[in-house]
Amino acid sequence: MVGNRFTPYLFLAPALLATAAIVLYPVASTLWMSLHDFVLFRPHSVPFVGFGNYARLLADEAFWISLWNSFVWVGLAVGLQFALGFGAALVLNESFFWRSAARALIIIPWALPSVIIGLMFTWIYDYNLGLLNDLLLRIGVLDGPVAWLARADTALLAVVAALVWQGFPFFAVVILAGLQAIPSELHEAAEIDGASRLQRLRHVVWPGLKGVILTALLLRTIWVANSLDVILVMTGGGPGYATHTLPLYAFLRAYSGMEFGYGSALAVVLTLFLMALATVYVRRTMREAFR
Amino acid sequence: MKRRNFLAAGAAAIAAPSIARAQATATVRWWYHFDNPQHSPADLVAAFERANPGIKIQAESIPWGGGNDYYTRLYAALVANNAPDCGMVKLGNMSRLLEMRALEPLDAMVDSWAGAKDIADSLWTLHKAPDGKRYYLPLQYVVLYLYYRVDLFQQAGMAPPKTFDEFLAAARATTKGDVHGFGMRGGAGGHDHWGTFVLGGGANFERGGMVSPRALAANRWFVALGRQHGVFPPSAPNDGFRQIVDNFKAGRTAMTIHHIGSANEMVQALGDRVSAVPVPRGPDGKGWTSFGDESNAVFAASRNKAAAFRWISYLSTGDANVEFNKFTGQLTVTQSGAANWTLHPKRFVDATAQSVPIADALPNVTQTADFVRTVWPTNMQRALLGQIEPDEMMRAIERQYHG
Repeated sequence: MVGNRFTPYLFLAPALLATAAIVLYPVASTLWMSLHDFVLFRPHSVPFVGFGNYARLLADEAFWISLWNSFVWVGLAVGLQFALGFGAALVLNESFFWRSAARALIIIPWALPSVIIGLMFTWIYDYNLGLLNDLLLRIGVLDGPVAWLARADTALLAVVAALVWQGFPFFAVVILAGLQAIPSELHEAAEIDGASRLQRLRHVVWPGLKGVILTALLLRTIWVANSLDVILVMTGGGPGYATHTLPLYAFLRAYSGMEFGYGSALAVVLTLFLMALATVYVRRTMREAFR
Repeated sequence: MKRRNFLAAGAAAIAAPSIARAQATATVRWWYHFDNPQHSPADLVAAFERANPGIKIQAESIPWGGGNDYYTRLYAALVANNAPDCGMVKLGNMSRLLEMRALEPLDAMVDSWAGAKDIADSLWTLHKAPDGKRYYLPLQYVVLYLYYRVDLFQQAGMAPPKTFDEFLAAARATTKGDVHGFGMRGGAGGHDHWGTFVLGGGANFERGGMVSPRALAANRWFVALGRQHGVFPPSAPNDGFRQIVDNFKAGRTAMTIHHIGSANEMVQALGDRVSAVPVPRGPDGKGWTSFGDESNAVFAASRNKAAAFRWISYLSTGDANVEFNKFTGQLTVTQSGAANWTLHPKRFVDATAQSVPIADALPNVTQTADFVRTVWPTNMQRALLGQIEPDEMMRAIERQYHG
């Protein structure tokens, strides 16, 4: 019957409409806006410029600096978060008397709002009053205080460190869950066979965790790549372009310059990069769903 | 007279005969921002509503966020046809608002308002639009001056500087160990510091005015204060308002530039160890300091323009304006209010008054807002860090204004 053919679509329609309204429309609107010279304080003149905004960004020094900084930002932040999270998960998987408390406490950085973390680290790095300078001066590592956030060679690394502290619990918790899912019989069998700790890590733990880790890395990369809140609070992108990343630059062009057309073009470029990662993630999840 | 009574009396005094023409139950939406979110204009609203029973004021506090948050919301509200009837605005954004055709000319209403004569002619002149009309009603103002630490200057045997050369000598003499001579603001809002020395030294915003030999020399001299003479703290490229004030209060800087809005906080921390003088002047005796304005405007799409003007004119009237400035720590725009000013120690009021002759606002053009928020801080920071030459910074500013 015809009615039966359309029944599934009728059931799906509300969800599809909601998705169209909150996802497809903004995406289409951003794409359309990126083809116009849309300046918010010139609402009466929004000329169509085709790919003019995209051509402009190719010649924009700040775009290329922001793009490079984005790669550094994502590579360092996600890489260090993973390394720290993996180590923390291995420790938390061992038996010690305050393990339950440690597992609960490790969540705190992840649970704190990004703005609070940004402000907290801004004061830790403060030139005059900062905890970091005080500590390094006391133990004799430094001869004088360092303006961590005001130097081009340290600002990005300082912000990355703040984000590493915030994000490593995500890896720790996810990997810990993966570790606990590995049957203890496998560990015991490997131990009986005389495998060392390193060999157990390579031949038992890693195969059991590979899927979890790849999914966590993909998700975290996407989140870090489009996050700007911690940078905005700590440096606003400065000094100069030292901590400009692509999402931050798009935000600043849109909300400081009011250039919504150019800001949209920057956002579209960022989206294309993230789409590549998202495609890998979706293909992985689809493969697992149909396995 | 109790505060509520005199506010009500002031409100009644400006309720001219035209009050009968106002809508019977008009609701006026007014956007405002105070640095201290705990301050509330509720008493002023209540006094006004008692004197104007046909008008309800819906006062909406909008986050300032260095200006970004406030204006992004305002522009978005204007584009979405959901703007307030009136709101607080600054001169730097007038041209953008005019380009949006968002402002209502106030000339006719101002001409029939008795309180207009209580506002100095010089303020009216500063607030006029390029087309000669009046869209802004002055509400408060400040003029930037030079704070100096009396104790540190005495130790160094220096007098407060009047010229650029004296400034450099004083900054170098007070730079010792952890103390730096000048607390420079390299983050957002720091163009005021730069303007004192570069605009005061011969640069201007006319075509070619940023790349003239005098302008380039003035900017090189300013950048050298940090890079060669080391009189700025190393944190200067990112320092904002909080850092320059805290460093000065803690004795880590001997001078900085700000306005009377921070005077009470400074005195509370330092007492007589802080004083102020007008900013130093350039070799030709000319100078420049920033005129910091705040006005109210009625938006063109408002359906309650008469009622909105009645409210904003009340806020710029005598006692009500003094009361308003208690929330912001700035100066009254009324001559009657200024005559009995007690909100700040006299030496800071004097420094402000002495600075007025060289005070000016940035150009009233659409490029200014982005200059303040992005172009100046980014290029200044890069120049201070040695990533670009000072001349490149000036060329970037020239491009921002003239392509």
